[in-house]
Amino acid sequence: MTAVVAESLTKRFGSVLAVDDLSFTLEPGTITGFLGPNGAGKTTTLRMLLGLAAPTSGRSLVLGKPYAELERAALSVGAVLEATDFHPGRSGRDHLRTLGRAVGLPDSRADDVLRAVELHEAGKRRVKGYSLGMRQRLGLAGALLGDPELLILDEPANGLDPEGVRWLRDFLRAFASQGRTVLVSSHVLAEVAQTVDQVLIITHGRLVVESSLPQLTSRVGGTVRVRTPNPDQLQAALRREHLDATCDHQTLLVRGADTDRVGEIAFAAGVPIHELLTEGSSLEDIFLELTSEPSS
Amino acid sequence: MIAQLKAELLKVRSTRTTLGLFAGMIGLTLLIVLLTGLLTHHDGLTSRHDQRGLFAPGAVALIFSGLAGLLLVTSEYRYGTIRPTFLFTPRRADVLSAKLTAGLLAGLVFGAVSVGLAVGIGSLILSARGIGSALSGGDFALIVFGGLAGIALLGAFGVGLGAILRNQVGAVIALLSWEFVVNSLLFGLAPSVGRFMPTPAADALMGLKTTHLLPPAAGGAVLLAWTAVLALAGLALTLRRDVT
Repeated sequence: MTAVVAESLTKRFGSVLAVDDLSFTLEPGTITGFLGPNGAGKTTTLRMLLGLAAPTSGRSLVLGKPYAELERAALSVGAVLEATDFHPGRSGRDHLRTLGRAVGLPDSRADDVLRAVELHEAGKRRVKGYSLGMRQRLGLAGALLGDPELLILDEPANGLDPEGVRWLRDFLRAFASQGRTVLVSSHVLAEVAQTVDQVLIITHGRLVVESSLPQLTSRVGGTVRVRTPNPDQLQAALRREHLDATCDHQTLLVRGADTDRVGEIAFAAGVPIHELLTEGSSLEDIFLELTSEPSS
Repeated sequence: MIAQLKAELLKVRSTRTTLGLFAGMIGLTLLIVLLTGLLTHHDGLTSRHDQRGLFAPGAVALIFSGLAGLLLVTSEYRYGTIRPTFLFTPRRADVLSAKLTAGLLAGLVFGAVSVGLAVGIGSLILSARGIGSALSGGDFALIVFGGLAGIALLGAFGVGLGAILRNQVGAVIALLSWEFVVNSLLFGLAPSVGRFMPTPAADALMGLKTTHLLPPAAGGAVLLAWTAVLALAGLALTLRRDVT
């Protein structure tokens, strides 16, 4: 069964078309990045998927049903929409207990998920004393409470320090490796580029890209950075393959090819390589290029 | 539904908000009973009417119970916990009916304590001052059971009003101005209309006999109708509106 299906989802606020005829499907066991600049309609889409907002037209299915019709929804879907959805005067553990009670989970589940997000020591303290990173993790703990097979997170990396981002990345990888599905939104491609299998990019409420991450990179032609002791030899080999490369000391920047292709050309030419990678900034360029202008 | 009610009751117990309101209600009820009982002249406490006024805790408990119910809903919108709440229980009618029940139960506790304090301490003061009771068993029954019912209903009334307005500050201002401005003005200027307002109806239910008040049963029916209307309107809006 597909994990999520959106069929022509549309949401209009007055004269503003926040989400415009959005359709996509998510297969189980994948991590999907849901990307777009702020105000592109990501959160509105997630709200519609989760039954918090009614679409103007279109519909969505989560694990085969409209979210509101799922039996004990929290046992199959975990979601976090805002990092700050806590009563400041309630302890983290009590927050989780109140959620767990609603679906008949024992209090011990609250302790389990607190441990899973490394908050067990702070669990008894009131949330008002938590850092933003701790709040993000408490929100995640709430989503994990029902041991769901689908996780939907809106901007989970917002406000996390680099260590927190890495923790989140490892966590999502481990979650998906168990055959579970993740949909994670972000306005920064680089934040999720190392985590996701595929991306949905929306801008002005419309889907502009639905592809795997390598496809995205090759499609637009990213920049590959390659360091070699024989840059002239490699540059010549690349030229023979009609690839343009600029040279700076021992480093070549290659446009219009991915790392696989550049590596193979170097191998065929017998040029040793000391470093070979896709430039992070080029991915970000792709993203900006795709989202800065509405597709027509 | 039972699971959701357990969740709602834990929400009430796991912050200090309701506890603070409860403490405030006890303090004010004590203050009013003590001041009225100790400072009123002997002759002002002997009649049946005077003693009913002393024992019936009146507006204080009603307002605090209404506020407690109001905050059960509006604090969820204020702090955003309404999102996880609806994610865990997407059938919003289940959430609202659990909150209405939790509001009634909290109101019942508020009512039991405030009526108990007023009747208990009021009686002690009267006997200490050597004033004989002028109230019949029926009068006491109305004060106790009418008070409990009225204060409990105000808890659910607050839940309904909170579900309609959602904004916490706005809802608190609305409830207080309804109580202190609309109720009083209307009852003062046009009692034939004002007596159908919630607080005069709750006073009537406790057997208070201030001029123009409805008979107890009619007061109870009016208060029940107010609560039902607000609860149903709150439910209809909760089902219809998007959660942002």
